Amino acid sequence: MKAATFEYVRATSVDQVVRTLAEDEDAKILAGGQSLVPLLNMRLARPTTVIDITRIDDLSYVRRANGHVEIGALTTHRLAETSELVRRNVPLLAEALRYVGHVTIRNRGTIGGSIAHADPAAELPATCVALDAELVVQGPHGQRVIAAADFFQGYLMTAIEPEEVITEVRVPVLAQGTGCAVEELARRSGDFALVAVFATMTIGTDGTCQDARITVAGAGPAPVRATGAEALLKGAAVTPDVISAAARAAADATDPPNDIHGPAEYRREMAAVLSRRAITKATNRANGGV
Amino acid sequence: MERRDRTFVALARPRGRPGQTKREDTLVEQNTHDGLIGARVRRKEDLRLLTGRTQFVDDVALSGMLEAAVLRSPVPHARILSIDASEALEHPGVYAVVTGAEVKAAVSAPQPVIWRMIPDQLIPDGYPLAVDKVRYVGQGVAAVAAKDRATAEDALELIDVEYEELPPVATLEDALAEDAPKLYEDWPSNVSGSTTIPKGDVATAFADADVVVSETFRFARQMGTPLETRGVVATWDPYTDQLDMWLSTQSPNLARDLLGEVLGISVDKIRVRTPDVGGGFGNKFDFYGEEIVAAILSRRTGRSVKLIEDRMESFVANAHSREQKIDVELAATSDGTITGLKATVYAVLGGQLGTVGIGPCWTTAALMTGPYDIANVELSVVGVMTNRSPYGSYRGWGQPKSNFVHERMVELLAQRIGMDAQDVRLKNFVPPDAFPYGSPVFFYDSGRYADCLDLCRKSVEQAGWLERRDKARADGTAVGIGYSFHVEITAFGPSRILNMAGLQHSGFDEEVVRIDSTGRVTVYTGQSAMGQGVQTALAQVAAQSLGVALDDVTVVVGDTDTCPYTGYGTGASRAAAVGGGAVLTAATRLKEKVLRIAGQVLEASPEDLVVEDGRVSVAGAPDKSISMAEIGDASYRRMNGLLPESESPTLEEREVFDPANVAFSYGCTAVLTEVDTETGEVRLLDYLIAHDCGTVINPLIVDGQLHGGAAQAIGGALYEELVYGDDGQIQTTTFMDYLIPTASEIPPFKLEHMATVADHIPGGFKGMGEGGTIGGGAAITHAVEDALSDYGVSITSLPITPPRLLAAMRAGKDNR
Repeated sequence: MKAATFEYVRATSVDQVVRTLAEDEDAKILAGGQSLVPLLNMRLARPTTVIDITRIDDLSYVRRANGHVEIGALTTHRLAETSELVRRNVPLLAEALRYVGHVTIRNRGTIGGSIAHADPAAELPATCVALDAELVVQGPHGQRVIAAADFFQGYLMTAIEPEEVITEVRVPVLAQGTGCAVEELARRSGDFALVAVFATMTIGTDGTCQDARITVAGAGPAPVRATGAEALLKGAAVTPDVISAAARAAADATDPPNDIHGPAEYRREMAAVLSRRAITKATNRANGGV
Repeated sequence: MERRDRTFVALARPRGRPGQTKREDTLVEQNTHDGLIGARVRRKEDLRLLTGRTQFVDDVALSGMLEAAVLRSPVPHARILSIDASEALEHPGVYAVVTGAEVKAAVSAPQPVIWRMIPDQLIPDGYPLAVDKVRYVGQGVAAVAAKDRATAEDALELIDVEYEELPPVATLEDALAEDAPKLYEDWPSNVSGSTTIPKGDVATAFADADVVVSETFRFARQMGTPLETRGVVATWDPYTDQLDMWLSTQSPNLARDLLGEVLGISVDKIRVRTPDVGGGFGNKFDFYGEEIVAAILSRRTGRSVKLIEDRMESFVANAHSREQKIDVELAATSDGTITGLKATVYAVLGGQLGTVGIGPCWTTAALMTGPYDIANVELSVVGVMTNRSPYGSYRGWGQPKSNFVHERMVELLAQRIGMDAQDVRLKNFVPPDAFPYGSPVFFYDSGRYADCLDLCRKSVEQAGWLERRDKARADGTAVGIGYSFHVEITAFGPSRILNMAGLQHSGFDEEVVRIDSTGRVTVYTGQSAMGQGVQTALAQVAAQSLGVALDDVTVVVGDTDTCPYTGYGTGASRAAAVGGGAVLTAATRLKEKVLRIAGQVLEASPEDLVVEDGRVSVAGAPDKSISMAEIGDASYRRMNGLLPESESPTLEEREVFDPANVAFSYGCTAVLTEVDTETGEVRLLDYLIAHDCGTVINPLIVDGQLHGGAAQAIGGALYEELVYGDDGQIQTTTFMDYLIPTASEIPPFKLEHMATVADHIPGGFKGMGEGGTIGGGAAITHAVEDALSDYGVSITSLPITPPRLLAAMRAGKDNR
């Protein structure tokens, strides 16, 4: 388990990263290394150049601007998870980050790296979809902003072009009266999810659902936004029957994989169970509960 | 075959003590100890291990050393048509490449299979690397020695192997199918051999039975996964022809003998050194082809060669274990008396026989009656070859399956006749006055099983589990309590009897205790230090026996040139019992010499002397004394006028202990669990073991062994599975897919100890390295079934995964 030979470039600016990517189409970016390094050592990834971006100074930050929480791509999971700005404005993200691996992994892993890797069972891509986040990428022709819904295209596939690098995640601040919940089923604590559901529920003063966002991870080649479930909830009084119907709709939207840890049928069924639990919990939280 | 097993039974009877008297037994933990034996002292090993400052085999770096890597088969079953290594040999930094055929030509014998308990078993000649044919994914095909590991791995990619793929025999069913492809073409089938262990009259027992309970159980493939993978550094000195091996092994003496056997050299030319072993759960007892490959690469290159198994390789190259299918039938009378037990153990062996052959699976059959006195048994084992990695040793060595079977059958019988399972256990336990008890194969030395069960149940009540379960159920949560009772074979074992059973090795232990010229004590042992605390345990025995402080004792391990010989190795729960027993005898004899010398100096009779904290004094006259340091000086340096004329210089004793019998520890495990009835997830809330391993040397070590063993039982029951696809490809080659429980999955443990001494072992010690692993699976299963009592779940296979449990709940409901 030793990596095959590669060239190592320590980048000091985003421009240099973009330039190096343009020069070598088999280059890979190294940030926290939590996904790339095992792939290198197993020789499953064999880039000719590894571009280490960890020394670029200005890519690690959490700030609030323009109704968004903006997180630099090199921000570690742990930094975002413990950020007061994140907790206060997008609590779903803070909660989701607690499920990413273990603390030692979160101390190294980066927000941008996890999003760019785009594992369909990972928490961050699904959370971005649930929160209608935007991803900022930079390439030879400048910057572009991609909606999370368009960003994750398939198993480990994103809308990033080969010569582009992700620089920032912009997450809209959640409305008042919004409750969030994450329900994740994994074989062990810290494992990739068999299925995970990320829910936000905005409840009006009349008790009806103003807005609902339900996303399922581990349920298909990319995070699944359960728009059918959301439609059933929006405008409705959130009764157990409505929640159950929405949960079933969320499960119906999934196309889960079959692997040694869980058959597809089991995962689909769990998507319903976890959706029901997540919607219920998020609703309770919106109503001031815990 | 039948006669052979009967011979074994007859010979296993411990010699000359039919009506032995027992020492007074106690139920308290620190049994009557007033010294270091039984003291909860901190382990001598911990500081170096916990600070990461010890040395493991990969830390060995020798001048000019090369690093090797093994090319492994990507296919499960194929003929090797050709191997072209020319490009690899030309790769810069590569010093040597060897193929399977070259290795075969360089050795004198195939890889040893030391457990041969089936006389007519077909045992194929296996070589360190595949020759002609590969029979499992991951089997070594060629090896490279290069300037570093990365270069060696680069070179592996340049070796061109042409395979003619054959249909894979991926499962037990595939192997036993009528038209199954054969792994060994000249065999009649894929069956390597079978044998039956008989006792009494099974036919009559079943004909007369009120109740017959039948079931089939399946156990997934699992393995021990030490944090330190296997590894070796070999130096074959071209001038002295001396082979010097650094080896991460539990059995340095056995390894040295087997190296000699395979390489065709005398053992005086071989030195095996074992640094701290970073965990060895049986898999490092076994002897692997890589040891030979490294030696041959060193001989070829004239340099030291390091060969470390990496983590991915470990999932195919390390011994696999546990995988069995067992058909069982139990006969009983309506009052719950078990009158007969019939079983067939199908051993799902791999593509080649490992060091221990069918041994662990035979043990499953041999110990299937567990703690119960069952008059009539017929226990068979059938060894079946498949295109999977070879079967080998793993903590428990067949016993976790025996235990699962007898405990599940007891519960099934209890359900059938409407009796409490604990009452069925109590009714069938071997009673205390029946020891030594002749089980179908082994003699059980001592035990108070009913007391142990009682201790466990009382502890469960005191811990408030019953109330917790009631309350949870009232809240609609599925919480359950499960029990199991286990026996554990330890203190392995009487050499001649083991030979009679088919073991091509011995089971005695030799220990050397020396007091040096400064009065300090060194124990030289052939046991391996693998994190279990053997250095502390042996030091405690020596210190107490000699009357010196624990800190004055050093225990030297890990070098066949300087340490004495132990048969077998550090496995089979034998180090504390046979090692401790030998140290105790040697140290006691050495103390006699110390007292004779002191008696001369102090002008007192040795009987009137006492030794305390390294000072010998006349009882009642503490000012008349001499220190151990002075006695040491008198024995090695300035002896005139001090060392009696009748005494030879130096202070050393050597003891060889070959036990008359093995010793059986036992215990009762209780588990409190919660099941999420929607997801099938199982959470362990609490875990309790009541346990008896004779005289306890160090309760801290015993606790740690039980904790670690139980953690592996939890892994085996709920998480771990080496999965093969129908195509014979292994699908679990990382810790992302092979799930060992982490701290988050392990519940708190509560332990209760009792001490029924082993009369035939000096000190009364029994081993206890495996009990935690043996009893866990059944107890967890029973707790899950109890939590789901509304669902009628019957669990017959491990591990219990959430999807499988959910399916079992549905099947249970459908059956009702």
